[in-house]
Amino acid sequence: MRPGFVQHLHPPTIPAAQARWRHTLGAGGIAIFLALVLAITGILEMFYYVPEPVQAAHSVQQITYHVPFGALTRNLHYWAAQLLLVVAGIHLLRVVFTAVYSRTRRFNYLLGLALFVLVILLDFTGYILRWDIDVCWPLVTGTNLLKTVPLLGGLLYRMAVGGGEACSTALIRFYTWHIFGLSIFVVVLGVWHAFRVRRDGGIAVPPPKKRAAPERISRDELVRREVLAMLVVGAALLLLASVAPAPIASAMTQPPTVTAEARAPWFFLWVQRLLQWGDPFVLGVLVPLLVLAVLALIPYVLPQPAEEDIGRWFSRSGRAAQVVVSLVFVGVLALTLLQLAGA
Amino acid sequence: MRVPLTVATAFLLMTFGTVWLLDAGQLKPVELIPTLTGETEYCLTCHEDLPEISAAHPVATFGCVLCHGGERLALDADVAHSSMRGGANPSDLAVVEASCGGGDCHSGTEAEQRDHIHRVMTSVQSTYAGAIASIRYTYGAQPDQGAYLGISSITDEPSATGIGSLDTFDSLSESHPSVKAFGENCLTCHLNAVPRDGEAFTRSTGCASCHAVGEHTLSTAIPYAQCNACHNRGNYDLRTMTFVERTDEAATRIQDYYQPIAQFTQCEYTLDCIDCHTRSEVMGDGDLHASKKDIQYVQCKTCHGTLTELPHTRILTDPDDIAFTMAFLNPVVDLQLGDTVLVTEEGEPLWNTRLLPDGTYAMIGKASRQEFTFRPVMGTACEQNPEEQGSQYCHECHAVER
Repeated sequence: MRPGFVQHLHPPTIPAAQARWRHTLGAGGIAIFLALVLAITGILEMFYYVPEPVQAAHSVQQITYHVPFGALTRNLHYWAAQLLLVVAGIHLLRVVFTAVYSRTRRFNYLLGLALFVLVILLDFTGYILRWDIDVCWPLVTGTNLLKTVPLLGGLLYRMAVGGGEACSTALIRFYTWHIFGLSIFVVVLGVWHAFRVRRDGGIAVPPPKKRAAPERISRDELVRREVLAMLVVGAALLLLASVAPAPIASAMTQPPTVTAEARAPWFFLWVQRLLQWGDPFVLGVLVPLLVLAVLALIPYVLPQPAEEDIGRWFSRSGRAAQVVVSLVFVGVLALTLLQLAGA
Repeated sequence: MRVPLTVATAFLLMTFGTVWLLDAGQLKPVELIPTLTGETEYCLTCHEDLPEISAAHPVATFGCVLCHGGERLALDADVAHSSMRGGANPSDLAVVEASCGGGDCHSGTEAEQRDHIHRVMTSVQSTYAGAIASIRYTYGAQPDQGAYLGISSITDEPSATGIGSLDTFDSLSESHPSVKAFGENCLTCHLNAVPRDGEAFTRSTGCASCHAVGEHTLSTAIPYAQCNACHNRGNYDLRTMTFVERTDEAATRIQDYYQPIAQFTQCEYTLDCIDCHTRSEVMGDGDLHASKKDIQYVQCKTCHGTLTELPHTRILTDPDDIAFTMAFLNPVVDLQLGDTVLVTEEGEPLWNTRLLPDGTYAMIGKASRQEFTFRPVMGTACEQNPEEQGSQYCHECHAVER
């Protein structure tokens, strides 16, 4: 039988080692699935969402309470977005811990990192689109951070917010960034990222002569595994979406009132904690950029992993990178927990 | 691989089924599009069995959100209620301008008879200015009994009372311990205050203090029991600056109406407070006053006249007379053009009274709807000195035995 479209997206056979759950954790594939869920549910939401300050929160309520399966769609969108961040984080950790950022693949590592940043920005812009009383404070704080950038601050702020106050005028910009500006980059970089995986020889494993088990699996088997992952993640998403609704609050008031509990979205809690300790530009802009730079430089500055260690968890030759990424991860986690406990 | 796929597919289908069932169990929304706003609201999904708040505010016209605020589309109670004005009471004075004021409802001009909020805000029931001045004067915190401070700061246009503004009374900045104690213990009666604990003190704040006469019911037919949530509840002990609640249990209206030592006549406990006390006395006349005494002016003679004078009357010839509005809002009498009603010395119509052909008068209780007839003092054997019209002089002969 000649392969169909889906089969054709895969090579006829791949080394079995490339498709082991314990090697990949399925993270990259699950991320693609979650992105697809986000695209579909996002498009469904666009049929009802009104990106206009007075109506935005009401249209979210309309979706949540009155559109048939609107709440489910919105909850799926929300949970897929949160999971995508988690899965992308796991994917990044996996890539470093299994030492697959070798010289030939380090450009793709950067593409992946860029995608990770885009996903964070998409999560933040999506969060702002709720346009309820809980999002005004994070919006003001986040956009004010742009102002602190020397020389470029004013320009960056105007690009993000437009003229006027953040909580009055930023909505249409965030909307456009969310559904078009950032998403188009995710599609382009995402396809490029996947293409580079294929071009770089598939999922990174040691070269054939250094591989323990040289057997291969067919693309049918690969697709089956992908479908299995999609079914399990899909069911988990559905369950999450039906028992844990996405946050919703009363519409933003004009002039906006800051709610008693001014809390950043969970993925920025660590920055919120940092901001309490001093200069907003240094702690709110420079430190996150520095973290990003450190992550980006790993395959360029640190020693290359040994060939036989590629695809092996926690190998000795990748120790430096493992330590650096672990420190970043533990640092961000600790700051997040500190902020959660303090707030 | 086929077995896990089958299991996973079954799992996914089961999840779909669960989601479907959960969705089917959701509330069926009840839609309302009030004619005044034209914006769909779903409050009735849960609140369909609430009584109509008043004939003047039909839900089909006003809906709920115009007064209460809240999220009109939300079906989750927490979200729906999260932005309500004043919690369950949109007439609380902190939010009344946005709810009852509503731009053009009860916050209009005096000429349009729409200045209710301004009148309430400046009335002694809100400012408590007289009590504050009197206590501060007594304990040497101010040189005279003039009104300088109120519950919250307020400014009024120049008026005959000469009081242009009041600053906020802050017991923390007072030096005399009794004035401090007064601030802490004795400010539970004004219209902003959360009432004291106890069933007898149960009332709302703001407009609803007086006008909310039942569950979700606003009325201008306010029974004496409503006034009694603040009045007649006990006495202040000025030495300890504490409030001493009355302990007697009133079984009858005569016992409930006044405290044991007071003297009163039959009409004072048989009628409701609002049968005699007018809207400007109770709700204020729009000017700041120094004390209750300066705004309360209705006396026995207002209805009964004196030996030498009949009470004032007015023939209703103007269809826009406020008397008709009042009678429309609380239709206990069928007022007609040409009817003669009693009016106060200030010209306020006692619209629930009528001059009868035989020269006597009739009054219909605004809350009780009971009919009373009475006659003027003139032409009777009353031994009054026409110069002495305080109630204590009338009580000398007309007080009832308890």
